[in-house]
Amino acid sequence: MFELSPAELKARLDRQEAIALLDVRNAEEFEAWRIESKHDFPVAHVAYFDFIEDPEAAIAALPFSQEQEVVVVCAKGGSSEFVANLMNEAGYNALNMTGGMQAWGDLYEVREVVPSSARLTLLQFNRVGKGCLSYLIASGKEAIVVDPGRHVAQYVEEAKRRGLSIAHVVDTHVHADHVSGAPELVELTGAPYHLHEGDASFGKLNVASGEGQIRLGELVVDVLQEHTPGHTPGSTSLVVDGRFFISGDTLFVKSVGRPDLGGHAVEWAHDLYRTLSEKIRRLSDDTTVLPGHFASLDEIREDGVVAGVLGEIRKSNPALAIEDAGAFVAFIQENMRPQPELYGEIRRVNLGLVSACEDQRTALEIGKNECAASKALA
Amino acid sequence: MQNHDATKTLDVKGLKCPMPIVKAKKELDAMAPGETLAVLATDRGSVLDFQGWAKTNKTARLVEQQTVTSDDGREVYVHVIERQG
Repeated sequence: MFELSPAELKARLDRQEAIALLDVRNAEEFEAWRIESKHDFPVAHVAYFDFIEDPEAAIAALPFSQEQEVVVVCAKGGSSEFVANLMNEAGYNALNMTGGMQAWGDLYEVREVVPSSARLTLLQFNRVGKGCLSYLIASGKEAIVVDPGRHVAQYVEEAKRRGLSIAHVVDTHVHADHVSGAPELVELTGAPYHLHEGDASFGKLNVASGEGQIRLGELVVDVLQEHTPGHTPGSTSLVVDGRFFISGDTLFVKSVGRPDLGGHAVEWAHDLYRTLSEKIRRLSDDTTVLPGHFASLDEIREDGVVAGVLGEIRKSNPALAIEDAGAFVAFIQENMRPQPELYGEIRRVNLGLVSACEDQRTALEIGKNECAASKALA
Repeated sequence: MQNHDATKTLDVKGLKCPMPIVKAKKELDAMAPGETLAVLATDRGSVLDFQGWAKTNKTARLVEQQTVTSDDGREVYVHVIERQG
């Protein structure tokens, strides 16, 4: 069988190889969420049921030459295998991407934000298909994991490979776009779970009492001290070594976190404005901002890390240029769009109010994050 | 779960794409115009897929879709299709 994994596809897209993509999901799914790359590549959409209804006509209508290498993608990998087989029988050069968009959404890449040393290790885990970012910070032998995704083994393995033990687990806020891995990581490691009372009070979670700072080897990490409400009432940010600002969903490179997910858009937008105009304003221009998400691929640096220098963000991020609260709230209202219908359920799972089995967790998480206050999807 | 009066029922529970539509088409092709087929699927993605399939083909009309909970607690998506002439 001619196939490749999501990781192999990502690597080939990054190398700008001459491959094309055929997405065979239904039109709604294709419009809502698809495979993207920083570099342009040919993408076509033909639903798999067109190949069932009239295979000859669907094959004849393909916008590819028979020499063109085409990666076929569907939701879970079954329909794309069916279509890739039909194409190959007809003389095309097709590869099936195994696992479909579900597997694409579960692909993570790990990068060092700065070269690691005994004094500081700072890793960014990028869940590329969803645009979700999580972090491992370490000094000496102890590590903090921030905003872990549901696939917790990777944090444990990365820590083990580096001779680190996970001593703290932090969620910067209650997530609405993905299922948090924090409870499972806490259970695996025995580390305390940090989540600000402003969010934790809505749920049934076993949260450690919130001390403001964590001593980690030679470093001091401000954890719950940096209360930055707005996206949620309990949103916090982390200051690492005085120069890295792990901003959760408060501040992104090109936008800010939408404050309308909890049904209190105006009130939380005022909180967010205060956070941005008071707390964020005090940070120096050379602070490196490490956000919880990216929405568009141009937020990714040349080295693959999603980060921005605050001085630059101040110039280019439209939300930071607004000088009064009323104009900011108006800006938020202009940029609102409906939240995905599953976000309420994801939040209830993350607050410990309902439980969900593995299949349900997977189904809840389908799609790209929509946490930024911007109209454009990407 | 017999809350639909279809001529025939096709159980594709547990099957993943593309099989629900592959099997539904096979059944439908053997049916007479005006007859209806109720497809019972467990794949959530089948909801939009049956809508899309019915839109692009001339022999299937989607009469209704509903979600029911089966005895073992699974969500079952019922798609009722009418064979067109």
